[in-house]
Amino acid sequence: MSGKIERSIEELYLEDPERADARIFGRKAGTNRRGFLESAGLAAVGAAVGGAIPFSQNMPAGLIPAAFAQDKGAAPAPAAAPAAPKGPIHLDFPGKDKGLVVIGEKPLVAETPEHLLNDDTTPIDKFYIRNNGQIPDEAKDPDKWVIKIDGEVNKPFEITLGELKSKYKAQTLRMVLECGGNGRSFFTPRASGNQWTNGGAGCAEWTGVRLADVLKAAGVKPSGIYTAHYAADVHLSGDPNRPTLSRGVRIAKAMEPESMIVWGMNGKPLPNIHGGPVRLLIPGWAGSASQKWLTRISIRDKEHDGPGMTGTSYRLAIKPMVPGDKADPKNFRILESMPVRSIITAPANGAKLAAGTRDVALRGASWAGDLSVQRVDISIDYGQSWQAAKLEKPKNKFDWQRWTATLKLPSDGYFEIWSRATDSKGKMQPHVAPNWNPSGYGGNPFHRIAVLVG
Amino acid sequence: MTAIRKGRAAVAARLLVLAMTTSALSLPPGAASAQQTFTPREEEPEEFPDAPGREETFYFCTACHNFKLVAQQGMSRPRWDGTLDFMTERHGMPKLEGKDRDVILDYLEQAFPETTATPGWQNPFLKR
Repeated sequence: MSGKIERSIEELYLEDPERADARIFGRKAGTNRRGFLESAGLAAVGAAVGGAIPFSQNMPAGLIPAAFAQDKGAAPAPAAAPAAPKGPIHLDFPGKDKGLVVIGEKPLVAETPEHLLNDDTTPIDKFYIRNNGQIPDEAKDPDKWVIKIDGEVNKPFEITLGELKSKYKAQTLRMVLECGGNGRSFFTPRASGNQWTNGGAGCAEWTGVRLADVLKAAGVKPSGIYTAHYAADVHLSGDPNRPTLSRGVRIAKAMEPESMIVWGMNGKPLPNIHGGPVRLLIPGWAGSASQKWLTRISIRDKEHDGPGMTGTSYRLAIKPMVPGDKADPKNFRILESMPVRSIITAPANGAKLAAGTRDVALRGASWAGDLSVQRVDISIDYGQSWQAAKLEKPKNKFDWQRWTATLKLPSDGYFEIWSRATDSKGKMQPHVAPNWNPSGYGGNPFHRIAVLVG
Repeated sequence: MTAIRKGRAAVAARLLVLAMTTSALSLPPGAASAQQTFTPREEEPEEFPDAPGREETFYFCTACHNFKLVAQQGMSRPRWDGTLDFMTERHGMPKLEGKDRDVILDYLEQAFPETTATPGWQNPFLKR
């Protein structure tokens, strides 16, 4: 206990953002809680960032300038600790891009930094990884993989992947797959779970059959109202009788033409790490509904109650709760459609642009769970003014919508660029992660990047 | 002092046994090869904030998952307490009671307290 713990800027900001402003930079917020009152503070921040901060009068108090923000990493270590990795740990996994950032190693979870989502179709090597349990061995004979359909059906059956491919009509759709916890790291106080930024999402071409066709072949009884999904991955404890995760969806969602059993990703056999040889793809809803290594779909006569369905898992508060308070499980409903989100995919957060640069071409993506995106707006002045981006149409339902915009910067210096999408029902991304819940679902604030000109 | 240290060592030993019982379960024959494509980085307790109960907590939690999962959280004691229940109910963690539970809760509360700012903002400008 003799080791003196050194305090980083981030820690100070974590504890008390306004006090940190005052201690580090002598910066004090005005009565409207925005802006710098003391020019010396501003100069100090500017000097540390390495440039002037245009629009600084709009910078909310307690906001760590993007350029200071520490890389998310291991918790602060005592000075004498062994070398804990500093900054993000980059993924080292066969066939995956080394730019992916490891959120956890056991279970293996890795997200895709926003700037690596710049492709219209997310390549397999850049697609995020989310596991709940152990990674299974790769199937030796994929076509012999068996999926069982049972429960509230007239004709339960087992079918091999080979038979599935030959008996049903295949389709290929480009659709977003997004972790239910995407954006969790934007909640305050911190919500529990993997601290995703916006990188728990990707948009790939999925090939498979309609889940509806398979369920119709089994004949869902009128009593069948919910699906229950099971898989081959083993729980981290090694207990073979404990499902790693078993979620489900309302029958109506399962019967949508885009809900699929898939074996192909971007024209290739579905890789093992993404749930191959066969998984579910329930677009627009939390990724956990899209069971990897699918072995069984059981139709139930009530809302499924498998691991991941109850308590506050993949659920939102019905009556808004005080952030950080103890949750009453009775006050929670299942998270279904994911919320609207936009990301800036170019330039990258932290890009340095040549002195004199005034025109900046932006690229990005946006999506909105079950809905579509009706507009994306961009701000370079901390949300005081917004300009519309040029928004593309989706290829098919549940595809993301790419967008572009050209910005005019007024000067050299440090700029933050914010993006805000609006869904087809008029809901916009908020400034902060909304509706705090203990496990942090629905965190979809504006995407924010910083660039330095000159 | 010695008594306290002895007590602590005893708690650690008990927790280790609990943890090992759990991890022994996790290695049916051939399971090791399942992870061939990815080997999790070896973590050490010393990487994490120093406070009483660090070793006990580290070895107890890492029987199943990496400690980074713990270290990226920041919660009040009641929420940590609820998390231990969740781990038992949802993930089959051996139930922690009495002094064992206190040791671990004390560490979690001190090392990873509730935070009031968002962790989710990064900037590569700092990598210089």
